[in-house]
Amino acid sequence: MELHTDERLSATTSSCPSSQTDGASVSHLLPKDVQQQIARHPCYSKQAHQYARMHLPVAPACNIQCNYCNRKYDCSNESRPGVVSHLVDPHGALKQFRAIKKRAPNLTVVGIAGPGDALANPKATFSALKLIRDEDPSAQLCISTNGLMLADYADALAAHGVNHLTITINTIRPEIAAQIYPWIYYDHQRLRGLEAAERLIRNQLAGLEAAAKLGMLVKVNTVLIPGINDADIAELSAAVKARGALLHNIMPLISAAEHGTYFGVTGQRGPTEAELASAREASGQFMPQMTHCQQCRADAVGTLGGGCGTEADNASKADNSFKVAVATNGEPLIKTHFGHAQQFEIYRLDPQAGEFQFLERRQVAQYCNGESACPDEEADKQAMFKAIEDCRMVLCSRIGIAPWRTLEQMGITPNVDHAFAPIDVALAAIANSQLAATTHSQKESSDEVCHY
Amino acid sequence: MKYAITDKCVGCHACLLVCPSNAVFADPDNPKQFMIHPRRCTGCEGQHAAPQCASICPVEEAIVNEYAIAVNPLGSLTGIEVREHVNTSID
Ligand code: SF4
Ligand code: SF4
Ligand code: SF4
Repeated sequence: MELHTDERLSATTSSCPSSQTDGASVSHLLPKDVQQQIARHPCYSKQAHQYARMHLPVAPACNIQCNYCNRKYDCSNESRPGVVSHLVDPHGALKQFRAIKKRAPNLTVVGIAGPGDALANPKATFSALKLIRDEDPSAQLCISTNGLMLADYADALAAHGVNHLTITINTIRPEIAAQIYPWIYYDHQRLRGLEAAERLIRNQLAGLEAAAKLGMLVKVNTVLIPGINDADIAELSAAVKARGALLHNIMPLISAAEHGTYFGVTGQRGPTEAELASAREASGQFMPQMTHCQQCRADAVGTLGGGCGTEADNASKADNSFKVAVATNGEPLIKTHFGHAQQFEIYRLDPQAGEFQFLERRQVAQYCNGESACPDEEADKQAMFKAIEDCRMVLCSRIGIAPWRTLEQMGITPNVDHAFAPIDVALAAIANSQLAATTHSQKESSDEVCHY
Repeated sequence: MKYAITDKCVGCHACLLVCPSNAVFADPDNPKQFMIHPRRCTGCEGQHAAPQCASICPVEEAIVNEYAIAVNPLGSLTGIEVREHVNTSID
């Protein structure tokens, strides 16, 4: 398993599936039992892609303000900004978990990642954790938090069986923190400036230490903000390592102006690839790095990426049947709106040949006629989802947010990246990235971030 | 009536969780916005030094006092005037 990008550490990691050298390269950094535990966690381990994870969006509120966040949307460093998670209550979360578990026995990880801060919503968070634990004691539970309330809740988290934890810590210097967090809400007051910064850092570090002492596997996320916290990454990394953090995930600041964050509006830029690489290298002297995560919304469900194609035959059945559905009404281009599709072409990835092969064409009833609002023909919609339920991805030109979510909950990734491209070109690109991911020959996107 | 929520509210739930009087509720007509029950709100008097809802609300001008004056006026939380933003979610 490979958990880091540090060149020196990962120099021996060549091919994807569980090669001996991968384990060896990381074993001097993490004890064996910890390695085993994270080997089944798709957000921690690149080789755990066949395992599914599910984020329960039960925690809307937040108790601090980050300058890279617009609270109209989800926590912007863990989400695709502008796409808002669908909130559920703990019982709704349990229902969702049951539904997914039924179709995805490989669901190993259940997390609470917001949309705000898990520990700013203790009631909902703990009751969801308890419901899931009672339902499936084998589920690995995790949460992500800004750390403000972590010291207070560390014991309760451990008692609820939480074994993975992510804390976003961007700096251990109050002067720097004051440029990242304008205020926090703590002890019934809004604190600002240095006072807020000092309190937040103190609580984050105390919480980290408490959680690590309780045996939780703690990952630290850091949003890299050039000119603000980039000079002190090594210091930060050493400090969190000293308090028991296991992994460091340095994520690029996302600051597009249209997201409406403070940093976006004031023109704070995100890091370049080189800056990101050098921050990860600075941190890599102290801790294993992570890089393979996707941007996960707080209600994300499914596997991360496509898994290891070449290992499909001996390892994972899921990889064996990597099927893609293409919404098309016969055209050679991907130009059909998901809701307008009358048929889907189904393709299957042949890892040996390295390409997709056409399997069949499936007819579906059309539930949205485009003219007016979609009629709420529940049965037709169901038929549509049913027609592609064995596929892992569906390509179309556009798709509404409701079916998008339904698909994600079914473990199917909607993909509109190839809108208006020829189907064969799109499939070739997807096959390439699948197989490239397998051999790690493809450089990972540095934009991939994850809160777990 | 002490405090009230304006249409600037983004429905983040934060005030709902910290109000000691259970005075905050989701607008039944628009669950993305919250409201304060005028009879339930005590202004947090005798309980906290500052109104809790306004102490945690991340959105400027979302909470007003009995004189309809924003407790967190423009610029007070971010230091900038944040424009309205277009929701970029897929159609
Ligand atoms: S912790 Fe997350 S939700 Fe809270 S302000 Fe920061 S980015 Fe936003
Ligand atoms: S002022 Fe206090 S009592 Fe009134 S709504 Fe706000 S938090 Fe609740
Ligand atoms: S804290 Fe502010 S933005 Fe959030 S729900 Fe309450 S009034 Fe609305």
